[in-house]
Amino acid sequence: MPIVEKSLVEVDRTEKLEIDGIDVSGEWNTFLRSRVQAHLDVRVSDWVKGQPQGETISRCWQCGTCTAGCCMHTDYGLTEFNPRYFIYLAQVGYEEELRKYATTVWRCVSCNKCVERCPKGVKVEEVIHTIGSYLELTGAAPESPADRFDRAYASNLLERGILDEAALFRTYERLEGRKTPARDLMRMGLALLRSGRLHTGPFAHRTRGWKKMGRVLRENLEADERRRRALAVRAAPPNGGRP
Amino acid sequence: MSASAPRGPPDASPAYYPGCSLDGLGKAYEVTAQLVIERLGLSLDRIVDYNCCGATEVKNLSQDVSIALPARNLALARSMGRQQVVAACNGCVYSLARANDAVADPATRGRINATLEKGGAPAYDGAASVQHVLEYIYARAGLERVRAAVTRPLAGLTVAPYYGCLYTRPKRYTGAGKTPGTDDPEHPHFLDELLEACGAKVLTDYSAKTICCGGGHALSDLDVSVAFGASILNEAKRAGADLVATICPLGQINIENHLDRIRASYGDEVVRPIAYFTQLMSLAFGASVREARLHDNFSRPDLFFRARGFP
Repeated sequence: MPIVEKSLVEVDRTEKLEIDGIDVSGEWNTFLRSRVQAHLDVRVSDWVKGQPQGETISRCWQCGTCTAGCCMHTDYGLTEFNPRYFIYLAQVGYEEELRKYATTVWRCVSCNKCVERCPKGVKVEEVIHTIGSYLELTGAAPESPADRFDRAYASNLLERGILDEAALFRTYERLEGRKTPARDLMRMGLALLRSGRLHTGPFAHRTRGWKKMGRVLRENLEADERRRRALAVRAAPPNGGRP
Repeated sequence: MSASAPRGPPDASPAYYPGCSLDGLGKAYEVTAQLVIERLGLSLDRIVDYNCCGATEVKNLSQDVSIALPARNLALARSMGRQQVVAACNGCVYSLARANDAVADPATRGRINATLEKGGAPAYDGAASVQHVLEYIYARAGLERVRAAVTRPLAGLTVAPYYGCLYTRPKRYTGAGKTPGTDDPEHPHFLDELLEACGAKVLTDYSAKTICCGGGHALSDLDVSVAFGASILNEAKRAGADLVATICPLGQINIENHLDRIRASYGDEVVRPIAYFTQLMSLAFGASVREARLHDNFSRPDLFFRARGFP
């Protein structure tokens, strides 16, 4: 397997560059000791492909259109958020390198510009979230704030069929150990109450006849999570991707 | 829309999917959208027992649940005898259209229908098309009818049209640009033209038109959602806008919710009043500031319009 990122080898790099303990510094075109990447494991990509949200990963031909327009990469300027590279690492099964981005992958904001523009029909946004799920479910990444929010959101909506926005806000603040000052909460609550928009707790909207549907969907959600977790743990290499 | 273009003539009164936001924080959007639709002689029929569409969150946990949630609403619309569903929130349009794309696969449709049946909902045949309320107003009423309905033109008002991310994106789900009545996915213009028809000066080159507001991570990634909210306002300021018009409750609420943080980091002068496009159209159609519920918005466009002599 060749060098993974060309950007590591720059024409005018002067400092010493080591990869996996091997000195690869030097000028472009000078003789480099050949390296073999031996610890690739395609079980990551098999898992991602096996998820309905991730199956389009195999269509990716690494053009980088997704990353060029990515709002996290380009607008927000988080250059280490590189969906093309995440897909590459998952495709070739370079799990050890992928784990370096364990606390970055979750930050996709789902703007879907990448899905819109991908010339190969990769559902990039869903693939990136699937890679993020893999990292989380195998324990390589901690549960991210977005994971916590997704779960709080799903749980809240399955309760009554309709979201209780204020309750979701309160639940999520508790989960993150955050506390909006009481004064601000009061101000916002009063503004909402005055305009007839505070439907929370006993006054929350609900979908008529939701009980049965809510139960069925909750069961499905939990079963899906168990299944995904079991498969991911089975897919993960036992040595954590290290050679 | 991708799963099925409308078959036969369009519904006289399409099904209307409000979504949680329009019955909650986005009430001003709901009230003014109804007002605009009524004044234009159009009509929508509310899906009464709708449920939340799952937005962009549920799909990260379970594919089938993320399809079943919107599919239930589409099935209800079909049992009302409708083939068109109109939604006002970008997130809802996205997830409804995404469900259509998924159930185009017969095996998936069978599985989802089994779930719906178990939960006591009608089966979904995959034949409801999805449209954003902006597209519906633009395509069904047309600019002539809008111009005719204007009684108090928004003259002298410079507006930055903010569409946000999921309005037409991605086209593989929404069918945008390749289905009649849908906007262009990269360069949307329906909002520009509607507001121009209402007499406003619209900044068609507004560079933040389709950027993300960070609303998906409004609570879970504050840095990002504040930065994106600030970009939307900053670009509006740079282009010389008095006001930002929105078409999505998530965008509207996300930016407004972060106003204090944006003020603290980017200065008071970037802040602009932000209002739903239907609130602005209502004003142009003669509604009062109060009727347009402009006092609902935390950025206080009501003060802005009162200062300009609007009743």
